[in-house]
Amino acid sequence: MIKILSGLHAPDSGGVIEIEGQPVSFSTTRDASRAGIATVYQELLLFPELTITENIFLGHSPRRRWGGIDWAEARSRARRLLDSLDCYALDTDTKVSTLSVAQRQRVEIAKALSHDARVLIMDEPTASLPQADVDQLMDVVKKLRAQGVAIIYVSHRMSEIFELADRVTVLRDGALIGTHAIDEVDEAKLVSMMVGRAIEQLFPKVEPNIGEVVFEAEGLNCGPLVKNVSFSLRRGEILGVAGLIGSGRTELALALFGITPATSGTIRVKGKQEVIRSPRSARDLGIAYVPEDRGLQGLVKPLPISQNISMASLDRMTTFSIIPFAEEARRALAAVKRLGVRSRGDVHQAVGELSGGNQQKVVVAKWLETQPEILILDEPTRGVDVGAKAEIHAVMGELAQKGLAIIMISSELPEVLGMSDRIMVINNGSVVETIDRADATPESVGMAMTAEQKKMDAA
Amino acid sequence: MMVAEDNGSFGRRSATSRAGFFKKLYTEYGQEIVILGAIIVLLIVVGSYNPRFLSVRNLNTIFAGNAYIAVAAIGMSMVIITGHIDVSVGALIGVLATISGTIAVSGYPVWLAWLAPVVIGAAINMVVGILVAYARIPSIVVTLGMMSILRGGLISVTGGDWISGLPKSFMISQLKPFGVPAPIYFMVALTLLAAFWMRYSAFGRSLYAMGGNAEAARATGIPIERRTMIVFMIHGAFAGLATILFATQLQIIQSTVPPNLELTVITAAVIGGVSILGGTGTVIGSTFAAILFATIGSALIFTNVSAYWLRAVIGTLILVTVLVDVMRRRNKR
Amino acid sequence: MHIRKILRHETILAVLTVIVLIVLSFQSDRFFTVDNLLNQGRLMTEVGLIAIMMTFVIATGGIDLSVGSIVGLTAILMGVFWKNLGMPLPAAMILAIISGTLAGFGNGVIITRFSVPPLIATLATLALYRGIAEGISQARSVRGYPDWFYVLGQGEFAGVPTQLWILLVVAVVSALVLGVTRIGRTVYAIGFNEVAARFSGLPVDRTKLAIYTASGFAAALAGVIFVSRVSTTRSDMGTGLELDAITAVVLGGTSIYGGRGTIAGTFIALVLIQGLKNGLSWPALREKEPSC
Repeated sequence: MIKILSGLHAPDSGGVIEIEGQPVSFSTTRDASRAGIATVYQELLLFPELTITENIFLGHSPRRRWGGIDWAEARSRARRLLDSLDCYALDTDTKVSTLSVAQRQRVEIAKALSHDARVLIMDEPTASLPQADVDQLMDVVKKLRAQGVAIIYVSHRMSEIFELADRVTVLRDGALIGTHAIDEVDEAKLVSMMVGRAIEQLFPKVEPNIGEVVFEAEGLNCGPLVKNVSFSLRRGEILGVAGLIGSGRTELALALFGITPATSGTIRVKGKQEVIRSPRSARDLGIAYVPEDRGLQGLVKPLPISQNISMASLDRMTTFSIIPFAEEARRALAAVKRLGVRSRGDVHQAVGELSGGNQQKVVVAKWLETQPEILILDEPTRGVDVGAKAEIHAVMGELAQKGLAIIMISSELPEVLGMSDRIMVINNGSVVETIDRADATPESVGMAMTAEQKKMDAA
Repeated sequence: MMVAEDNGSFGRRSATSRAGFFKKLYTEYGQEIVILGAIIVLLIVVGSYNPRFLSVRNLNTIFAGNAYIAVAAIGMSMVIITGHIDVSVGALIGVLATISGTIAVSGYPVWLAWLAPVVIGAAINMVVGILVAYARIPSIVVTLGMMSILRGGLISVTGGDWISGLPKSFMISQLKPFGVPAPIYFMVALTLLAAFWMRYSAFGRSLYAMGGNAEAARATGIPIERRTMIVFMIHGAFAGLATILFATQLQIIQSTVPPNLELTVITAAVIGGVSILGGTGTVIGSTFAAILFATIGSALIFTNVSAYWLRAVIGTLILVTVLVDVMRRRNKR
Repeated sequence: MHIRKILRHETILAVLTVIVLIVLSFQSDRFFTVDNLLNQGRLMTEVGLIAIMMTFVIATGGIDLSVGSIVGLTAILMGVFWKNLGMPLPAAMILAIISGTLAGFGNGVIITRFSVPPLIATLATLALYRGIAEGISQARSVRGYPDWFYVLGQGEFAGVPTQLWILLVVAVVSALVLGVTRIGRTVYAIGFNEVAARFSGLPVDRTKLAIYTASGFAAALAGVIFVSRVSTTRSDMGTGLELDAITAVVLGGTSIYGGRGTIAGTFIALVLIQGLKNGLSWPALREKEPSC
């Protein structure tokens, strides 16, 4: 959607975009910027080795008469743009690689504004910012609005929507659900518009069957985002891990799985003290990790379903390193059937051709082949359509019932609340609270997620 | 606490004092300064051991004899900065030298013999550029193929014969205006021209953008395909200029390609600070690196160390440079 | 389905190779003789050994530019160990091959432990290993090896050149390793998506280390065979061999980005290249012969 508006992708069919009453169509980003639309993308598109000025004016620098770049003019215009964004002290000749994320974002906004944009599209601008920077950004956005720039602000954070928006439009699975003035809606109404179905259907929670403790962590440390983390996990339990993006949830998972081994602290698996040095040693202890980034970390997309499913358990299948192909295909087929992966018929189809939900099921299947006892799921339903989401939740419930201990990391509060038996809230690398299912409400979890930062703001 | 810290980073204003200027110079041109320092140290140390090392004659030999590598490395740097590579440049120089020499001995005007390698070099590399940019074949594959074609063509056309009897007016490398060999003028002028162009032109800056993040560059509206093709053509033209310097040094032109010339050129670019992953580096660095290689080679002779150790020294140097670079980046993280 | 997809490139290449060989045999009646074909096989062995291991390297998305230099280094070391240090020749051979293998291991360490991109790492060792060879040899060549040594490069076994047997064995074993074993599967997974391979608990670093070591071993073996074939040791042996090997691997259908490629493809490409080299040089040779 955003990419169509900004001209990066052309619309497939129909649809007229009008700007100040004029229908326009753009096939390139240049067309879009000429029409006065500028975009600040979710992932920042800056060039680290170039200076701030160069980044802002790349492709449309002010020219001298003979065609060379007028650097003095470019610098002074960059200066004015930065000043208008409250960045009075940022030097225009600094290389972007030395800036913080928040500073880069300001440069990105300045770059968008340098096109004399009348419409500014901001796609999840706060996704990777700490709270203090979010507040500053809010001020900048309000200031721009006061200057008469129309802003399309894409976000899934309710508080930002309510703080900034005049009108709100809800999209789901590429379709328009509705547009309302902000005072016509409340949070509950927005959530139901976004989810589109009753919460019970989406989170088919089965009665848990909780057994003895299988995993304990004590005082784990790893980098700046895992600080003195202790928790325990029982057989059959789903432990939800809640926290803002950048709070250290994934870093904890990576430490537990041995990608970035913990630098101190103890881990006990089934009462026995163990050291996890690599993904392989984690696997041999019965720990499995379904990673956050499915395409990059979870799957080898060009390889067929069968080879992806056997990937983590290959060395247990082979004799003298030779792969039993028939056995591999048979096992994959069984796994595909068990999890309901919909493919074009056989297990030799490349995984990349499957839909997001089915790809995720393949990752889960891969790790179930290792017969784990502890399953870590990192954002298990990100980028998955609603139907497959419910199916994945059903599979989780089933696995827990069979005695698997599950750690589920999720940014979606309804998912955490709907699926977990206990919720561990992480904030800035530390566990701030562990809440039982019975006591967990959106308010209590949300408070814990942001508590620390509110304290800081007060100070 | 956090708020204060962040305000701090927004509030940092870069110092414009003299120390600040040097610091900036170093962060921007660190690699170039290190190489220049190495050249100077080498000149001083070896010069004090054997004063003949610093004689005008020897210095001229060092710089002039290797100017063609520096010139070729300029174009190579641009290609690598854009995120590509060219392993066919050695073969290209061999072919262009033969063409140029043939024209020169066939009685055509001598300016044609100088112009031809530049034009033909650009034309041949235009084909490479089109295949890389529009057909999207990886540059290493295209240039490997081109290398085989050029080498094969060279051998079957010349049958291994040398070209001799070159006219005196053709030998531009043997001129010495104001007592300085002509190739040095070429090297300095072309390096400055290219450096200025890479630093201050919109086109030059866009090459860094393309090498750093091609997708983002496309989103910014840079015509990536056309510029990729043009960069290869410019590189071809520089190969042509290098050919002129190379072919007019001696009275004969061998029809064989100097072995491993392409790797020497790539190495000069990489040592000069051009990241093989694209997006960073300057052409000044690659010229310094080419000079450094030549200086080391000569230094070994003047210190009575066998010149056969030259390559081992250079290899060690590359390895150390690369490892230091990796360590530095790791510490930054 | 999937297998057909992989085989397509190799099939086209094989058909092309057959056509080229037929055309060449019409060009010269000397081309399609058993003697010439076996002789061409002899000439193909060194680059072949290297190209086969290079297939593994490129299939992981890497590259090894130092193999030509390792050939030279191995050759020089063998000569020095035998002639200058007075070792028995078999011991010198083995020690030289071990040294070459260690050179490959060194590449692997630089690439896996220090995360240096393979292109740069092996570009550096290309200069370094060749430099050591040149420094040690001081442009002196070693000659006068005992007769039994030439069996390796000039002799025959069961009517076929000795080194061709070695090439065939290495090719078959490599094809099996890449095609049906865990190692091969790991190679492809790394080539397509190294991060996912790591997250799946596959031994990524160990496999890469092993592959670069094997590449060094192949180059070292090729170096010894080279010396035996041409009866002399020189430090510039194997110059440019890396690019010939990479050409064969890429022509054989291995993706330079990693993930795709087979030994069969590389082998067919080797035959095609050798055929072209041989066939295209006949006319030139014929013209030159009277004057020689």
